[in-house]
Amino acid sequence: MQLYVDSTKCSGCNACRVACSLNLFGESNPKKSALVIKPHFPVPGVYEVKVCTQCGDCAAVCPEEAIKLNSKGAWYVDFDQCNLCEACVPECPEDVMFVRVELANAAWKCDLCGDCVDMCGTSALWIEEKETAGV
Amino acid sequence: MNGYGGKILRVNLTTGKITKEQTPADVARDFIGGRGFGAYFLYKEVPQGADPLGPDNKLIISSGPMSGLMIPGAGKCDFTTKSPLTGGYASASMGGHFTAEIKYAGLDSIILEGISPKPVYLFINDDKIELRDAKEFWGMGTISVEKQFKDKLGEEYQVAVIGPGGENVVPYACINHDFGRQAGRGGVGAVMGVKKVKAIVIHGTKSIPVSDTTAYRQAGKALYKACKDASFLAEWTRYGTTVVTSWCDEVGALPTRNFSAGSFEDGKNLYGSVMRDKIVITDKGCFGCPSPCGKYSRSKKYSSYVEGPEYETIGLMGSNLGISDIEAVAQANLLADDAGLDTISAGNAIGWAMECYENGIFTKTDTDGVDLRFGNVEATFELIGKISRKEGLGALLSEGVKKASQKIGKGSEKFAIHVKGMEQSAYATHNATAMLLAYMTCDVGAHHNRAWAITYDLQVGRDLVVPEKVARVIWLQNFRPMFDVLGGCRLQWVELGIDRDLYIPALEAITGIHRTWVDYEKVGERIWNLTRMFWARENNGFGRSWDLPAPRFYEEAPKSGATKGQITKIEDVHRLLDMYYEQRGWNKDGMPTPERLSALNLAELVA
Amino acid sequence: MTAIIRATSALKVYLDGKDEFEVESGHTVRETLVRLNIKPELIALVVLDGEQKTKDYIIQDGDVIKVLAVIGGG
Repeated sequence: MQLYVDSTKCSGCNACRVACSLNLFGESNPKKSALVIKPHFPVPGVYEVKVCTQCGDCAAVCPEEAIKLNSKGAWYVDFDQCNLCEACVPECPEDVMFVRVELANAAWKCDLCGDCVDMCGTSALWIEEKETAGV
Repeated sequence: MNGYGGKILRVNLTTGKITKEQTPADVARDFIGGRGFGAYFLYKEVPQGADPLGPDNKLIISSGPMSGLMIPGAGKCDFTTKSPLTGGYASASMGGHFTAEIKYAGLDSIILEGISPKPVYLFINDDKIELRDAKEFWGMGTISVEKQFKDKLGEEYQVAVIGPGGENVVPYACINHDFGRQAGRGGVGAVMGVKKVKAIVIHGTKSIPVSDTTAYRQAGKALYKACKDASFLAEWTRYGTTVVTSWCDEVGALPTRNFSAGSFEDGKNLYGSVMRDKIVITDKGCFGCPSPCGKYSRSKKYSSYVEGPEYETIGLMGSNLGISDIEAVAQANLLADDAGLDTISAGNAIGWAMECYENGIFTKTDTDGVDLRFGNVEATFELIGKISRKEGLGALLSEGVKKASQKIGKGSEKFAIHVKGMEQSAYATHNATAMLLAYMTCDVGAHHNRAWAITYDLQVGRDLVVPEKVARVIWLQNFRPMFDVLGGCRLQWVELGIDRDLYIPALEAITGIHRTWVDYEKVGERIWNLTRMFWARENNGFGRSWDLPAPRFYEEAPKSGATKGQITKIEDVHRLLDMYYEQRGWNKDGMPTPERLSALNLAELVA
Repeated sequence: MTAIIRATSALKVYLDGKDEFEVESGHTVRETLVRLNIKPELIALVVLDGEQKTKDYIIQDGDVIKVLAVIGGG
């Protein structure tokens, strides 16, 4: 399973990111979320959304094996095992691997909880089976 | 305090001193937040008789308990001040993302006091708070200044900025944010400008504390589900506020040629469906909003981008000026946004000027050589700039239609469409007595945001003058602005029709305080009476005469359109006020009685 | 020859608590609303397949027409 986004439908509201931070940390703080919304204003006047594609590149490089698979088949960070080495951050092709020590004591990423999909009023986000082209 | 940022930030611009104090729990209990905090601090701290443009006036910027949380529409920020336009209470509500960032920075209100000796901007990054030199930005339009701050500081910073209109202290200058949202009305931008604050840039990384996280997540999810299940979500998102343009034209509510009629013969070129096809590129929303009303648009004709136009701007800068090209309205919208002017007051003032010209009250000498007839698009564009610079005819128009018409005389006061000095927003009320009453009694002047009652007029009978209409207006006035108090948006309830009871468990889980809508409406009534007392304290002779509508609505029936030949009688205007005062528990001149003030726990505050 | 009119919940009071009605095709939206005892001037928006229509649109077979009442305005 994988989270997908159609950026053309994004209105920039950030409800997804508040839901995400509540899921990951139990806090209302979109800066502690695992998806990114980039506004491009005043021109061309669109939002660009980046989400985790569950590619697993982060898990492959983690020296502590702190990035594990959960019951949904999604990669998540075990906060207790992460040592903040940041090896994962540059590996992420979508730039959605997060290390911000002023906000949390471990790296964090999307665990495919699906709350963002539930909050999105424009249906810009959805979860479905991964594309397996060429596997 | 659960649901709150926790601190009030005070910025003394005269001395440069910046202080924080704990958000008072008793004020949060009785006034809740947002517009409630604005009204409280305004009454308590701005001394009687203060010059709105002097150092004793304050600009009180407040988020509310909903702001920044997982609640639909959690993105509204209140700006309250003593109005340089009306001399009374001004409160403007700004969408976008600014209010959320106030909470993440650990704040509830930012209070700007005094006057800075030179142009500054307020920089807030969590606990690092400074006044910085704004010389390099002074004189620039709002759009490029916001872009510069975003490029320099990063996207996470939220920016509120004034344009030349605010810098030049135009009494209806606004404050801009997020490339298309405004704290629009009553001159809040003028107060920021006279204080020489070019912008506020804010960034916060704190989480907002709530009382019961599990219950809040559950209640928030239920609210979002209700919005997503609303039968008209897709249509509302498609058209936003422009959903009403065609309807207003059909029922005679679309202001046409300075409110001389309520239907526009070329109106269909301004309808929402035409606008969507021609210029809209992105549905843009405020914080937490599942039903984004913002229509970000690109005009090929003018090679420009703008958020809008909203219905109000389509009314006041389109049909009200006899302009039928939606791209021209979008361009006028952009010019006003960049200059930092309220499109409603500016459009209304230009419409008044056009009527003066067509009546011969103005000649080309008065209009700087311009053929200022209704429909003149280029003249409209030019006047927006001139108003922001107080240049030529723009100097007179910048004062607002009340003062401008008093200066010019020659009968022009009769078609100055305002109440209490605030230009009327985009509903023509020749024959819609509940909506007329809403405009007459709105607490900031002729604005529709408190009580939108035209449908009620049509449901029960437009010209009826009955207690039920008055009760309806009062209920809407006590209820609707509670969203401004809570720091969120009313449009999920207003437009999607979600059950308002869904908010109750969410707010209780956030604040830990159990309140019903009856409790919230009592706070609404408290604030309503407090701001009424503020008007009275600041304006000698305040009372019934200040509640009267523009004479056009009881003297001049439209000659065309859906309300052709229809007008309200002045006797009915007074009957409406008689009933309104009685139902509000006020005396016959429209002043809250001591009993009413006591019942609302206001006696001590207003003593 | 039928079509369906779907209304916002605010109009249920006029429609015996229902929000969906089968109607005859071949009449304008305006005429049809009048037959349903809904004042046409209470309807802000008429939508067919996501596109706004005027109240003079003549209803075709199989149309599903959504009508939005102006509940609360701006």
